[in-house]
Amino acid sequence: MKRYIKKIGLVLFIVFIAIQFIPKKYNQNDIVSKTDFITTFNPPKNIAAKLTASCYDCHSNNTYYPWYNKIQPIAWFLEDHINEAKAELNFSEFADYSKRRQKSKLKSIMSQIRDDEMPLSSYTLMHSEAKFSEEDKKMLTEWLDNLRDNL
Amino acid sequence: MKGLKLTTRILAILFIAVTVISCKDGKKEQPKEDAQKTEMKGNDHSNMKHEEAGHDNSDGHHDGDKASETRDVSATSQKNAATTPIIDAYIQIKNGLVSDDNVATKKGGTALVAAFSKFDMSKLSGDTHKEYMEIMESAKEHGAHIVKSDIAHQREHFEVLSTDMDDLITLLGTEKTLYQDFCPMANNNKGASWLSEVKEIKNPYFGAKMLKCGSVKKQIN
Repeated sequence: MKRYIKKIGLVLFIVFIAIQFIPKKYNQNDIVSKTDFITTFNPPKNIAAKLTASCYDCHSNNTYYPWYNKIQPIAWFLEDHINEAKAELNFSEFADYSKRRQKSKLKSIMSQIRDDEMPLSSYTLMHSEAKFSEEDKKMLTEWLDNLRDNL
Repeated sequence: MKGLKLTTRILAILFIAVTVISCKDGKKEQPKEDAQKTEMKGNDHSNMKHEEAGHDNSDGHHDGDKASETRDVSATSQKNAATTPIIDAYIQIKNGLVSDDNVATKKGGTALVAAFSKFDMSKLSGDTHKEYMEIMESAKEHGAHIVKSDIAHQREHFEVLSTDMDDLITLLGTEKTLYQDFCPMANNNKGASWLSEVKEIKNPYFGAKMLKCGSVKKQIN
């Protein structure tokens, strides 16, 4: 029995090491796209900083990866997660959306912030700086609401 | 030796846990909007000037006026049977919300996505086609979200979906008799409208809580 477990453990350990060598695709780009949300709507600095810190890791074409996110299979899990997030909302391509979709997305963004659904608690667990205070929420939703009315 | 065994066990548990999580995650993925994007490319597949059944095209709806900016539904709508399955699915969502029924609303969401997928847009051209594509993209997205949301979120999506429906009817018309209702308290007291197949007010934004809140703003057909 003991030997059996030891063998399984060894095999898993080898697999764990081996998968680290499989090439990874990171969600990173050198250039900021012209269709980027912040480039297009030019929000005040504090709002731009909040959006970048709290949303852009998953909802844009640029993710900042801490070291532990480069370990497999965590990196795979994250890749899936980011792809799903970008399909829902991609700030890097926001200006490419139709006006209709932009308005609809802004509404959803506000409601997610208001209801504390975004940023995800699993994300703020590791990124405490991404959490929104009540003042942050008020400032963000007011600015976004105003933007939506003027689109 | 004991240490090695422990670490291998921990690694094994970790590995299995993450595999299970990522598998579960993979299943959730739905066919996304790839199909729509490819359809978008064939923008002008007909030079026909919109010859749908019973479609009288004398009111100049196709001359590039941005229907998205006009929120009003014209009282005399073009008679168009093609939009009926879409509107019926929307009504199904509306009635689900009126009766505070999360599951019935989800079914309506599924029906809406299906109705848009089946809609024949080969007869649309130019600006009408472009406008339709934008409405469809938005409405399908709301439909998909309604399928996977709780009732509070369903109502938020329904609010924007209702403006999409207004624009769809302005753009393509309907053969149905509909009422555009308005409730000033919905949407965080900003007010929101909806379309109904019955004249009597039945509020989808509040359900049983405030079933009678609202008034008829317009009758279509």
